[in-house]
Amino acid sequence: MKIEVITNEKLGEKVYVYKHSSGLEVRVLPKEGYDSAYAVFGTKYGSIDTSVKNADGEFETIPEGTAHFLEHKLFESEDLNAFERFAATGASANAYTSFEKTAYLFKGSENIESSLEILLDFVQNPYFTARTVEKEQGIIGQEIRMYQDSPDWQVMFNLLRALYEKHPVRIDIAGTQESIARIDADLLYRLYETFYNPANMVLCVVGAVKPQRVFDIVEKNIKNSSGNPAERNFEKESGAPVQNYVEEALPVAHRQFMLGFKEELETPLLTLEEEIASQIMLDAVAGKASPLFKKLLDEELIDMSFGSELFNGFGFSCVMLGGSSADPKKTAKIIADEFERVNKEGINPEAFERSKRKLYGRYVMMYNDIDDTANLLMNLYFNGYAPFAELEACKGITHEKAQNRASKILSSNAALSVIKPIS
Amino acid sequence: MLQVKMLAEKVRLVAVPADKFKTGCISVSMALPMDEKMAANSLLIYLLKRSCKRYPDFSLLAGKLDELYGAVLGASVAKNGESQTLTLSITSLADKFALTDESIASESAQLLADLLFEPNCENGMFNAEALAMEKRLLIQRIEEEMDDKRTYAFKKCVSFMCKDEPYGKSKYGTVEEIEAVTEKDVYEAWQNMLSTAVIQITVVGSADVNRICEAFECRFRSVERNPVQIETVFVQDGGELQRYEEKFNVNQGKLVIGFRAGMDHRRDNLFAITVMNDIFGMGTYSKLFTNVREKLSLAYYCWSRLVPGKGIVLVESGIDTDKEKAVTDEVMFQLSELINGKTDPEVLESSKRALKEKYTFTSPEGIQNWYASQVTCDDILTPEDMINGFEGVTMEQVCTAASKLSLDTVFMLSAEEGNDEN
Repeated sequence: MKIEVITNEKLGEKVYVYKHSSGLEVRVLPKEGYDSAYAVFGTKYGSIDTSVKNADGEFETIPEGTAHFLEHKLFESEDLNAFERFAATGASANAYTSFEKTAYLFKGSENIESSLEILLDFVQNPYFTARTVEKEQGIIGQEIRMYQDSPDWQVMFNLLRALYEKHPVRIDIAGTQESIARIDADLLYRLYETFYNPANMVLCVVGAVKPQRVFDIVEKNIKNSSGNPAERNFEKESGAPVQNYVEEALPVAHRQFMLGFKEELETPLLTLEEEIASQIMLDAVAGKASPLFKKLLDEELIDMSFGSELFNGFGFSCVMLGGSSADPKKTAKIIADEFERVNKEGINPEAFERSKRKLYGRYVMMYNDIDDTANLLMNLYFNGYAPFAELEACKGITHEKAQNRASKILSSNAALSVIKPIS
Repeated sequence: MLQVKMLAEKVRLVAVPADKFKTGCISVSMALPMDEKMAANSLLIYLLKRSCKRYPDFSLLAGKLDELYGAVLGASVAKNGESQTLTLSITSLADKFALTDESIASESAQLLADLLFEPNCENGMFNAEALAMEKRLLIQRIEEEMDDKRTYAFKKCVSFMCKDEPYGKSKYGTVEEIEAVTEKDVYEAWQNMLSTAVIQITVVGSADVNRICEAFECRFRSVERNPVQIETVFVQDGGELQRYEEKFNVNQGKLVIGFRAGMDHRRDNLFAITVMNDIFGMGTYSKLFTNVREKLSLAYYCWSRLVPGKGIVLVESGIDTDKEKAVTDEVMFQLSELINGKTDPEVLESSKRALKEKYTFTSPEGIQNWYASQVTCDDILTPEDMINGFEGVTMEQVCTAASKLSLDTVFMLSAEEGNDEN
C-alpha cells in the first residue's frame, strides 16, 4: 500500500493520501486532541452536469435536478435506510448537492469505524423503486418551493440566468417541479453507474482517526471498478450577458441586489492562484476596510450585509457583489466606476497587503473545524490540487497578479439582478 | 480544563484553554432586563463594534482587524430567557501562525477591551452621525426580518404566545423606540451596562487566560458595580388555544405550533425534556421526521425546537397552505404516541447517542456558545454534565415530559389564494 504524506510545517498538519486501485483517492488528516471525526465521500457530479456521455460517445441531456434527486434517494435501501443505520452509531449524517459535486458525510465521536463502513456502503449500494421515487418528488417539491420564497436564492439565480445563456450553472440545483417529475428509477440507475464510480470520487476524513485504519476500511469496502472520471462538456460562452438587468417582486421589506461581472473563459477552469488573487483583489477593493464600502455606507446605499465573492467552476466564472440597497442601479454604477478606476490607477498597495494577510489568516482558520477541513480537502482534489495548495498559492500572490484579475472585471460584461418589494 | 474566576461582582471569567485550535476567541456577554432601555442597548452594542477612541472610524477599525490576519469581530443581541443579552466577541489566529514576530492574541484582547471601555464618545455623548447610521441599519435589520419567512413565522408565533410576558417583545426594542434614542441615551446605556449587567467573559482556545484576566480585571476596577437580578416568567400551561394567521404572496406556507413545556425554571427536568424533544422532532429517527416527512411526504422539514430559557417548545414546518390541518393533526397524533409510550426503545438509545454527539463540540465557537449561553446561571453545566444527564433518562421520564407539553398558540403564514399551485 503506497501512502504519501504531505506536511505543512507552519500549520502543523499532515495529510495522508492513498490512491485505491479503483481510482478512488483517500485523504486523511488526523487531529491530535480531537474527540470527533468528520468524513465526506463525494462525487464530481453536480447540478451543472445536465448532460451525460452515452455509449455512442455523444452527450445526452438529462432532466434538471437529477444530481440532487439522486442524493436524496441514496439514503434509501431495501431494509434499513442510511439514517437508521447511523442512528445505531450515533453519528450525525447528511448530504448536499452543489453546482459541481454531491457529498455524503457524517460526524461522530464513537464507533467512527462503523460509521465509515456505513458511509462507504450506502453510497455504493443504490436502491430505487417507482414508489420511493414518487415519495421523494413530494419532499423535494417542498424543498423547491422553500427556495422559491428565498430572496437570497432568487436574487442569485436571476443573476445567473441574466449572465449565462447556455451554461447549466443558470439552472436551479434542485431542478423544477416539472423536471423532477420526469425522473424515474431507471434513469437514476443509469446516472448512478456513470457518476458514482470510485474513479470519479474522493473520500476525505479529518479528526480522531488513524490513517492506516481508514485505508484498511477502504481496502475492504470499496468495490473495484474499471470506471473512469466522468467527462464534462466545455462549451465556450462569450463574456456578454444575456440581459443587463432583471428584477422580480417578492414579499420583502427592502430592495436587494446582486451585481455580476462575467468573465470570458478560454479554458474551463481558473487556476487556484487566479482564484485566490481574485479574492484578495475583491477584499482590497470592496471589503469592509475599503473606501468603496465607506462611500456606499455613508451615502445610505448599502448595509453591513454588503459583500463580494468570486463565483467560479467548470466553464463559468463571475464576480458577484450584493446586499440590500435603497437604490440598486445607483449602487451598481458606483461599484462599476470603482473597478474602472482600479483598472486605471491600480489597487492600493497597502490595501492589497492587508487583504492578503487577512485571507491567509482565514485559510489557516479553516483548519480549526474538522468539517471545513474535510470539505476543503475534497474541493482541492476535485480541482486537481494537493492538500495545502491554497496556503502556498496565497503566499505567492503578488500585487501584479491581483491587478491582472481586476482587469477581467468589465462593465460591458455586467448584469444587475434586483428583488423589489411587492407594492 | 475549565477555569472559572470572578473578576468583580457578577463579572465571571470562564476559560477553556486548548492549544489544539488554530484560533483564540474571547466573548463578553452582558445580560440586562427586557425593559424600556432595550432599544438604546441594541444601538449601543453596534456602536461599540463600530469604533473606539483608538480607531475612531469604522474603516480604520476594519483595517486593523484585517492586519490582525482577518480577526473576526462580532456583536449580537439575543434573548436569553427574559434577558436581553448583548455580546461583543473577537476570534483571531493563534500567535504561532503569525508571519512575523507579533502577538495577535494580546492585541485582540486589548482591542476588545478598548471597544468596551474606551468608546468613541465626547462630552458624555456618542457621535451623532455614527448613531444615525446605526439607527438606519438596525431599523432596516428589523424590517428585513420578514424576508426569511421561516424565522419570521417562528418569531411571530413566539410574540403571540408570549404577548403578556417580556419574552414576547422584539429583542431589539421597537422601531419607534429606536428612532427616539439620543446620543446621550446611548451613553447612559453604556454606563448602565457596565454597572448593572450580569457579565461573563468566555475565553476558548490558545489565548493566554491570565493576560486576559488582568486586562479585564483592571478595567472593571474603575466601574462601580450594581448588578441587576434577572428573572424569567415560566408559564406552565398553554391555556386556551390561540390561532393566528398572516397571508403573504409566497409559494410555501409556514406552520409554527407553540407549546409550553411545563418547566418552572430553565433547568427544571432539563435532561428528560431535552431527550423528549429530540425524539419528538429533532433527529432523523424522530417522530416528526419519520412520519411527517418520510412517511407522508408532507414537508421537507418538520422539526421541534426546545427553548429551555423560556420553557417552550415550537414545532416548525414548511408546507402547502391547504395541508395545515393534515400536518397539525399528524403532529398532535405523534405527540400522543410519544406520551403513550409508543416509541421503540432503540430510538431512545439513538437519541442519547445523538445528543452525546451534539454536546461533543468540535469547534471553539461551539464551546464558546455553550458556556456564554449560561451567563445568567449561577452554576455552570459542562457538556459532560449534559451527556451524563441524558444517559440517565428513562422512557417513562420521556413519556411524562411529553405529557406536560401543552398546546398554546398556532401561527400560520399562508400563501395568498391563487398562489397555491396545488
